[in-house]
Amino acid sequence: MLTDDQRSVYSRLADVLIPSAEGMPSASEADVPTKWINDALGYRPDLVPAFMRALELGTDDDAEAAVLHINASDSVAFDALGVLTSGSYFLNPTVKELIGYPGQVPSPAYDDTETYIDMLAAVVERGPIFRPTVR
Amino acid sequence: MSSTHRIQGPLPDVADVLVIGAGASGSVAVSELAKNGFSVVCLEQGDWTPATEFAGDKPEWELVKQKKWHPNPNVRQGPSDYPINTDESDVNPLLYNGVGGSTILYAAHWCRMMPSDFQTRTLDDVGDDWPFTYEDLQPFYEEMEKMMGVSGLGGDPAYPDEPSFPQPPLPIGKVGLKAAAGMDKLGWHWWPGANAIASKAIGHRPACLRYGACLTGCPAGAKGSTDITHWPDALEAGAHLVTGARVREISVDDKGLASGAHYIDRDGVEHHQKARIVVLAANGLGTPRLMLLSKSEQHPNGLANSTDLVGRRLMMHPYGAAVGTYEDGLESWLGPAGQILHSMEFYETDKSRGFVRGAKWNLMPSGGPLGMRSGYGGRPVDESFGVNFHKNVKRVLGRSFEWGVIAEDLPDESNRVILDPELTDSDGIPAPKLLYKSSENTEKLIKWHVARAVEAHEAAGATSIETTELMRDCGWHLLGTTKMGNDPQTSVVNEWGAAHDCPNLVIIDGSVFTTSSGMNPTATIMANALRSIRHLIENRATQPMSGE
Repeated sequence: MLTDDQRSVYSRLADVLIPSAEGMPSASEADVPTKWINDALGYRPDLVPAFMRALELGTDDDAEAAVLHINASDSVAFDALGVLTSGSYFLNPTVKELIGYPGQVPSPAYDDTETYIDMLAAVVERGPIFRPTVR
Repeated sequence: MSSTHRIQGPLPDVADVLVIGAGASGSVAVSELAKNGFSVVCLEQGDWTPATEFAGDKPEWELVKQKKWHPNPNVRQGPSDYPINTDESDVNPLLYNGVGGSTILYAAHWCRMMPSDFQTRTLDDVGDDWPFTYEDLQPFYEEMEKMMGVSGLGGDPAYPDEPSFPQPPLPIGKVGLKAAAGMDKLGWHWWPGANAIASKAIGHRPACLRYGACLTGCPAGAKGSTDITHWPDALEAGAHLVTGARVREISVDDKGLASGAHYIDRDGVEHHQKARIVVLAANGLGTPRLMLLSKSEQHPNGLANSTDLVGRRLMMHPYGAAVGTYEDGLESWLGPAGQILHSMEFYETDKSRGFVRGAKWNLMPSGGPLGMRSGYGGRPVDESFGVNFHKNVKRVLGRSFEWGVIAEDLPDESNRVILDPELTDSDGIPAPKLLYKSSENTEKLIKWHVARAVEAHEAAGATSIETTELMRDCGWHLLGTTKMGNDPQTSVVNEWGAAHDCPNLVIIDGSVFTTSSGMNPTATIMANALRSIRHLIENRATQPMSGE
């Protein structure tokens, strides 16, 4: 679990990575630093040490400079920061709705052969394309 | 007994057959042997993986698939995985250890090899001919397709017998229609993909729910992994399965015949299971590793390795891809993933291209918004983040798909599996090391094929196309390391998988592939395993056995 100070640092870094733009909320507006990052860290405990390093490196008052510094000085830490922040953002159902992604929901298979069977006729008409066994 | 060391049924003191590995080929062997009255013990270093554990139907799927369900065991680092030294390999091996083996995480592309794949020396003057033909294997393909509940559309002119399938094809959806339109413009072959995925319910196996998560385990239980398709019947027929059993050596008797195996359970206790016949089904990496570990007075260079061919001729199917992005919303997160379409247009040799042999193409969806995003570190921040984060998601999500190229990998004795001199697994057993370089023929082949795949996307109207000419994490297909052939001087096993140097050691996994073809190999691995085991059963009266 993040301390208040860590969460404060992370909030600024996360909003540099995912700002409010293109009609989409920022990371903070999507509750990434306050809610979803907790879940993401639980799903990926292997990334926690590198993520914590990113927070330690990212204390510059200028958050954009801090993000550049993390990327330049510890690429593994930056990678963890990027994956966890993106992954947290997409855990938010509102974000999924805004990008038109239903998430991992069942969509039963059906037979759509009739939509392409006429197209396949041309493939069949071109005939065999294999080399037969040499006896 | 720990939770990861489970024995199903009291073990016989001496099994008729000991099978090492409970994956695609081992499952076939155990099932057939048990149903035919053999006492069978199977040793599997992993455990069962219940469908409820898979994340494909859960919100965190895209986060956890990059670690817990990653196909590279060096990344996944699960309790049943062993480390693999890949410092000197162009490609990372991908596999899964557990009941069902790599079928747990495979994409379930179901591809018979072509007739020409069995005769590369005769037809193209490269590699070696297999000791049997497509027609010899054809009935076993057919039988295995029924067992696996393969879905597909009959009548494909790419194959001599235009095979039909027991299940109707899975939907090709908007992605398939878009790609097919491009192929039609070019006059190129395409066909709805055949997959070992249930398009309709079969018995207790439900139909596909199109989570698009085939490569990380099917949460619906619709994918044909052998823990579902074979093991229940095998156990019902009396087979014995020991999970959490890591084999460290195959033992031999004073005649040099295989007499069983020493294995270590998950409590660190060593056991020895005696057997009259040993079947190796530990994949193209694990099988040669075990044989090289099994040195004895009778087999000083490793079991059945008088030719020094064990571990050599490793083939891993280097993989290239072209990903096209389109203006239209295509719902390209939907499964199957799985192959939506395949194309054999450029499968056969055309020497005017500057290389021999070819590749199967498979059309695959692109997944959710996170995808396999990682590797951000060191790249410009604004490439993936800031305003571009949102722009990229809107541009790509649901609007992109991949034409993948399975490049035939020709055998080369310098590409091999050896024992690492220092690296060991968690039981202290020497780990395998791969020495593997992609050949000039393969590099030319992939470059040419990827260029054609770009044309296919252009014809279909893609607005942008990204290519990869060698994906490092692509070594799903571990083949060729105990070559099959008629000549004991130039091969390790005969056409029935019996080792020339040790006739009661039968190898049935992808190790025996004489050449690799340009196809996903599971169909051929399983059909060949069935052919080999049926031969063993039919010839039990004359089969050499330990203890006779």
